[in-house]
Amino acid sequence: MSKDKKIKSLRYNLIRPMSNEKWQPISIPIVSILISFIAAAIVILLIGKNPLQAFYNLFQGAGILPKPSYAGYKSMLTDFLSLLNAMTPLVFASLAVAVAFKAGLFNIGVSGQMLVSGFLATIVVGYSGLDAIIAKPLVLVIGMVAGGLMGGLVGWLKYKFNINEVVSTIMLNYIAQYVISFFIQMYYIDPVSRQSKYISEAARLTLVNVEIANLKMDIPLGFILAIIIAILLKFVMDKTVVGFEIKAVGSNRNAAKYAGINVGRNTVLAMVISGGLAGLAGVTYYLGYFSSIQPKVLSSIGFDSIAVSLLGNSHPIGVIFSSFLISIIDQGSTYMSSQAGIRQEISSVIIGLILLFSACGAYLKHKVSRLKEKEVDQKESES
Amino acid sequence: MDTIIIDGLSFALPLFIMAIGGIYSEKSGITNLALEGFQGFGAFIGALSAVLIAHATGTDIQNLFYVSLLFAMIGGMAFSVIHAVLSIKFKADQVISGVVINILALALTTFLTTQINAIVFGAASDKFRLGVSERFTIEGLANIPVIGAVFTNVYPFEVIIIVIAFFAWYLLYKTKFGMRLRASGENPHSVDAAGVNVSKIRFSAVLISGLLSGLGGICFAYSISANFSSNIYMGYGFLAIAALIFGNWRILPTLAACLLFGFAKSGGAFIAQSMALPSSFTDLFMILPYVLTLLLLIFFSKSNRAPRALGEIYDKGKR
Repeated sequence: MSKDKKIKSLRYNLIRPMSNEKWQPISIPIVSILISFIAAAIVILLIGKNPLQAFYNLFQGAGILPKPSYAGYKSMLTDFLSLLNAMTPLVFASLAVAVAFKAGLFNIGVSGQMLVSGFLATIVVGYSGLDAIIAKPLVLVIGMVAGGLMGGLVGWLKYKFNINEVVSTIMLNYIAQYVISFFIQMYYIDPVSRQSKYISEAARLTLVNVEIANLKMDIPLGFILAIIIAILLKFVMDKTVVGFEIKAVGSNRNAAKYAGINVGRNTVLAMVISGGLAGLAGVTYYLGYFSSIQPKVLSSIGFDSIAVSLLGNSHPIGVIFSSFLISIIDQGSTYMSSQAGIRQEISSVIIGLILLFSACGAYLKHKVSRLKEKEVDQKESES
Repeated sequence: MDTIIIDGLSFALPLFIMAIGGIYSEKSGITNLALEGFQGFGAFIGALSAVLIAHATGTDIQNLFYVSLLFAMIGGMAFSVIHAVLSIKFKADQVISGVVINILALALTTFLTTQINAIVFGAASDKFRLGVSERFTIEGLANIPVIGAVFTNVYPFEVIIIVIAFFAWYLLYKTKFGMRLRASGENPHSVDAAGVNVSKIRFSAVLISGLLSGLGGICFAYSISANFSSNIYMGYGFLAIAALIFGNWRILPTLAACLLFGFAKSGGAFIAQSMALPSSFTDLFMILPYVLTLLLLIFFSKSNRAPRALGEIYDKGKR
């Protein structure tokens, strides 16, 4: 076999798993993830560390693989639950981005919507002393309504005044950040932590330090809700008129208009849903994962979620898997840096690489289909 | 009054040069949300080169200002190649590519800053210390009432930015290259039919935006923050995008938008200071530029129109 042929067959074997179009939405992200782990391995090798051990530690830290030893009241299960706890807001935020995406809108304002809903829920319910049975659902409702209103405002500005949603969400992000920082520093500051005062346990969406079977674990109640909502969203998007209309507006505004779909109403509606989901991300973040708000800081989740949603193909179920992966890398990084002596910041580099390669997905798809066409041509000319 | 103009200008001009970069890219048809990443990475390369050269030769870091300016522009341009390749060659979604580049820039520069600090300087630090660049005052002109403030305490980079901005304006509106660039964003097929390579035009437009963003980034690093750290990712790039959309993708209205930002920002800080309010009240005045923009947009954005082919992947075979 000549060298040329060898390369050809190698290429064929690499590409073949991706050539089935039905599986492409899954196979292409997987290939991008593999490529980025290889790239990350090269980076780690360059620093002079063992990449395999680093990745192994990453999974150990995230509670996917067992660690050699655990502190008291800890086990793999507690690690895994804190992974889910951290993942919950990311799932909601990515769903928020995905819905807006489907409508052809780009919601950069997830961080701002999260902050506003988290703050309102904190001051209304978090400091109220209500019973858990009332407080927890109320937190969710406030989060959803506040986020939905803010998202709706963006949609309305877009439809009514032709204000580009990218600009209005950026402006609203800053406004939310400064105004809320003002209120926190004036009225709700905890002088020791320099953050807002801690909320009551009853209002918190994560049950902290629950003792079960001699383990102390954090149980994220929001996670179950996140899964339910993702499935619900898939149903709404695929099977209902609302979902169809939103997707129609997203793929071609003019065609949708001529088909008799109310573009303005659907723009606002999509942003309300998106904002509502961002609100849920906000309450599970500020009243779940954390129990206070740091003034003057927007969470980076709002921006990460854009990329996570892309990695999951803006598909509600895909988003769950992509958030899971990103959360593993994020959560495992502390343990990795303590065990392997690699800087924790490498984890965000890995995440960046994964996202970078998954952005090339369209190119891979294009290449694969080109190679397939070539193959067919060759066979035809041979026969 | 004077401080409002001085501080406002030193904030508005770096923003303006980044927005011009954005205009180049978007006018050629490539959506560019990556300005934030470009400016951060450019500032990183600029700061890194200054710190390394100062370390190797023992010169004062203040004297290396122009060197780091140059390297920042190169760095921003080098990083923008990723966006160009992804969105032009690989036909990736331009919005997604932009967001990914921002995330990657933040991750990469934070990682490299701590890593290089540890290896080269043996210090556990997450920033490169730069200091504030020296300012100068033009005697005579500075004594004119009100306008004199424009010539007082000027950062050298402000002059550089104005010169480059003027050149960029000329290139975009008065040359053949500029005309083709603008046409690529409106009707790429006609540009192609005229025998011009659309991809090449767009590629160079994105590189220009990277170059100018890098310049803007290092200016912020040498003035407001006085160092390079992850704090450079304050959202300047997004603000520049807002300014250019506000300015309807044209250079002069964008300058007005940037000046509005700058003066509203410094004005807000000035009011809060002169009223001797507790420091938490400054936060309330900080929202001034953003609220003002939203309000003005309500009146002005009816006529706003993005370049027609913006964000569309150019497909030669498409009709």
